[in-house]
Amino acid sequence: MRRVGLRGAVSMSFALKNNFGSPPKCRSVEHTRGSPGTRSWKFNNFEHICCILPCNFAGPLQLGETNSLPVSRPDVITPHLAGAMPNVITPHKAGAMPIQELSRKRKGDIDNRENGDAEMEEQQSRSEDDDQQVTIKCFREPHSQIEKRRRDKMNILIDELSAMIPSWNPMAKKLDKLTVLRMAVQHLKALKGASSSFTDFNYKRKPSFLPQDDLKHLVLTAADGFLFVVSCDRGKILFTSESVLKFLNYSRLELIGQSLFDYVHPKDISKVKEQLSASGLYPRERLIDAKTGLQVQDLPVGAVQLCTGARRSFFCRMKHSRTVMKTEDKTIQPSSPKKKESQRYCTVHCTGYMRSWPSTQLDAESDDNESSHLSCLVAVCRVHPNDACQPSREVKVKPTQFVTRFAIDGKFTFVDQRATTVLGYLPQELLGTSCYEYFHQDDLQHLAETHRKVLRSKEKIETSCYKFKTKHGSFVMLQSQWFSFINPWTKEVEFIVSTNRVLGPGHTETEQPSSSKLLDEESKRTILIPGISSGITTMIYAGSIGTQIANELLDSNRVNCSPSSGTSSPFCPPQDRSPMVSSHANTPNDEVTDSDTVSKSGSESASKGATYAGSDTHMDTARSPPGESSQIDLDSMVGPGLGILSNDEAAMAVIMSLLETDANLGDAVDFDNMHWSH
Amino acid sequence: MTPERERRRIMSCEAARARRRAESQVLIDMSQLLPLPSSLRPQLDKPSIIRLTISYLRIHTLLSGFADRQRRDEEGERETRERRGAGARERREEGDRERRDAGDRELGEGREEQKKEMGETDLYLRILGGFVVVVTTEGDMIYLSDNIREYMGLTQVELMGHSIYDFTHPCDHKEIRDNLDLTAGQSGCGGLRDFLMRMKCTVTHKGRTVNLRSAGWRVLQCRGCLKVCVSGPSLTCVLFTCQPLSLTHTLLHTHTFTSHHSMDMRFTYCDQRVTGLLSYRPEELLGVSVYDLCHTLDLHTLTKSHLNLCSKGQSVSGVYRVLVRGGGYMWAETHSAVVSKPRPSQPHQSKPSPPLFVACVTYILSGVEEPTQLLSLGQMN
Repeated sequence: MRRVGLRGAVSMSFALKNNFGSPPKCRSVEHTRGSPGTRSWKFNNFEHICCILPCNFAGPLQLGETNSLPVSRPDVITPHLAGAMPNVITPHKAGAMPIQELSRKRKGDIDNRENGDAEMEEQQSRSEDDDQQVTIKCFREPHSQIEKRRRDKMNILIDELSAMIPSWNPMAKKLDKLTVLRMAVQHLKALKGASSSFTDFNYKRKPSFLPQDDLKHLVLTAADGFLFVVSCDRGKILFTSESVLKFLNYSRLELIGQSLFDYVHPKDISKVKEQLSASGLYPRERLIDAKTGLQVQDLPVGAVQLCTGARRSFFCRMKHSRTVMKTEDKTIQPSSPKKKESQRYCTVHCTGYMRSWPSTQLDAESDDNESSHLSCLVAVCRVHPNDACQPSREVKVKPTQFVTRFAIDGKFTFVDQRATTVLGYLPQELLGTSCYEYFHQDDLQHLAETHRKVLRSKEKIETSCYKFKTKHGSFVMLQSQWFSFINPWTKEVEFIVSTNRVLGPGHTETEQPSSSKLLDEESKRTILIPGISSGITTMIYAGSIGTQIANELLDSNRVNCSPSSGTSSPFCPPQDRSPMVSSHANTPNDEVTDSDTVSKSGSESASKGATYAGSDTHMDTARSPPGESSQIDLDSMVGPGLGILSNDEAAMAVIMSLLETDANLGDAVDFDNMHWSH
Repeated sequence: MTPERERRRIMSCEAARARRRAESQVLIDMSQLLPLPSSLRPQLDKPSIIRLTISYLRIHTLLSGFADRQRRDEEGERETRERRGAGARERREEGDRERRDAGDRELGEGREEQKKEMGETDLYLRILGGFVVVVTTEGDMIYLSDNIREYMGLTQVELMGHSIYDFTHPCDHKEIRDNLDLTAGQSGCGGLRDFLMRMKCTVTHKGRTVNLRSAGWRVLQCRGCLKVCVSGPSLTCVLFTCQPLSLTHTLLHTHTFTSHHSMDMRFTYCDQRVTGLLSYRPEELLGVSVYDLCHTLDLHTLTKSHLNLCSKGQSVSGVYRVLVRGGGYMWAETHSAVVSKPRPSQPHQSKPSPPLFVACVTYILSGVEEPTQLLSLGQMN
């Protein structure tokens, strides 16, 4: 009966097509398919149906709306519309209609309509000879693709399903679709029979995808923690999950009934108390607003309870029983060697909420109103990965290693305490001084080069082995891995991290041990006034290597930012400026000049290496003679035994003033990059 | 058309119809067997039924792997219950606080009952403040707890069986893939996973639900572990809990301080509590980078968090050491979020509004360790 109607519908739609002509039809098909109603329906029902039939029906309908369909048309359309429309096209009707009924109808319709489908296909093929070929092509193309996709999707799903069914033998021959489905049903039935939870009361009332126990287990496994119920007034542990054994090494039997505070680090007790004492209403200034990140100033009382609820999220340290079985002893004797104190605790992150049980449950027991509203903290505690587990992938430290951090100019800003054992200096002695003050002169060139390289590289760079002056005047052999820390937001180098490995004691300077001692003593003095004594000037100089390299970077950044300054700077003012200016003006240009400056800075830094200093001198003379003169003088000045010349003092003053202005400019650049902050 | 052809056509039609009818019937049976609310069943199409069945079978396989442990747990629980009863009796014998004990016991039982009533798992899920997801290493979400709806607006049935990559931010796919990888966790702490991802969320800030196509992203902190199931069809899954990160739930206590930062993590504001904890005055922290305050060994932790912050807008730092003025350090964890300029005029725009600042809540997790050790220049003055 309905089938006839459908067939009629199909033929009718073709009739409509003939009447309306192809171009508007095509458009209407497209339009209908794009409309949200059909699309969303497609997800819920069998796709091909919605894609074919609605197109046929809705097409003319839409035309009817826009083009004012001839009066006779609606009469023709109505019969099949009555049959098909409520189920296929109008999804909003599903809401109004009782779902069960709808589904029954739809399920009943499926076969018929699919037949209609098939028939239509044939009709289409028959009508190929018609003059409607264009229309049909246009209509069939997406349909066959959609069909194909649907079939592919189904096949993939069926394949996946068959993989999940325990089959008696992995068959070479693929099972057909229907068999797979039947087997899956059998398998489901078997599972259902096996698990009783399907039939229990809870399930029938509110079925959940998983039985309660399984889900509970899943939650605890995924959360990788333990459950805790603690009464708020005295901190008594009312309940914990069994998994507490795994994390704190206490069995739940030991814990239940005990006070939580016995298991919390003494210094965290107040913290936990604070969390427990705060029932829904708590000083409001302690809450922060997510929008502004500011503390909530005033909020209606109800809102506090509503928006923040009584959720809690806090950290505390809890006792961890170290022995496996003899846990009782631990709890009784609270005083234990202080050394192990920190190891016996682990940091726990508690997430949960405050819950109060209404007084009705307790009425029988306690008629004094004291505990008429007993509130508890119900929380999941996750053990935080402690420092033993803490992976520091970026900076790995072995016992013979220590970590230091330099500002970009080579000044120590962070020194690991292990440095003291290796170098003899206390961290505060090193902090703020330039690392170049401690390097052996032979290594200065190489280290300056590495320093320069590391500022421009994202990679870690290994230095070759070098000598570092210890507090006692001797040298220790170190090898370091340097990398520059680049701020993820500004992409600018903030500092350099150095992981230093001790290779063994270096050879002490045999030639002039006294002078190195002298240097060492002077390094501890503050560098305030340049050019008072030879020693201090030397120190300024060594430290300024780093500053110079840092300035090079800042300059190159500046050049990169504003090309105009880059073009103007290189060779214009070398006469009245210090050699450093010319050198860092060169750096951004290309690699060749970079290597030039490296070697040049080597010549600057290497005070005693006469041979290569000489060779470098040639290069420098070739390039910038005016700078070179002071260069040579500076070199000779650094030599420990040599005196100073007055014009060198002047040069130094120029350097210092330049460095100051550079530093200021560098700050300015930083501020530019902070424009987001306001 | 010949009558012969017509006959064959009808026959094949009949056969096809019978086949489809059988198939539909099997699928209906299948949907009946799925543990779903009956109201939902008729809304499912064929692929969805199969998709959910696959998910169900998979999660069942996974759980059967747990069966042993679960049994043990149950035994433990029974034992505990007995012990608890005994414990309560003992305490009553002690004589003091009799009433309270009875109250407690009653409460415990009451709670237990109540738990049964509201569904024990509801409690677990509520405590969690998030939902549970089980994902295969291929990325198929084989299970999601049904409370996902509260957080994301999407339902369990909608998502189960689908690929996680269809519902997460494309930029996070690599990270998700890395975390689903079997070998990924080995370098860290024994298969533990902790990462942030952005997932489609159809609930707006005002609580309205929108269409999936206009869904926004919500940052979720995913923590969990890898589970390998070898019995039966081999199945490797990552179980994790997804918790939306929000600073609203934070009840600040004495061991926390809030701060604002520019996007490069320099302090622009810090509340007074920092003085009590780290001994810095708020005003002297202005302009100081967070990186200057941390121990160099924890640089990576903070950088990762900062990168998350830049890309996803929210982050959790994980544990790091913050240097205390005058010497020593404390373990801390910072939760942060980028606060953007609100643009009420155009709520649905593709371009995100420019970030204003970073809001941070820092939890101090420990006391001052090695208080005599000066480590950085910033600690000295």
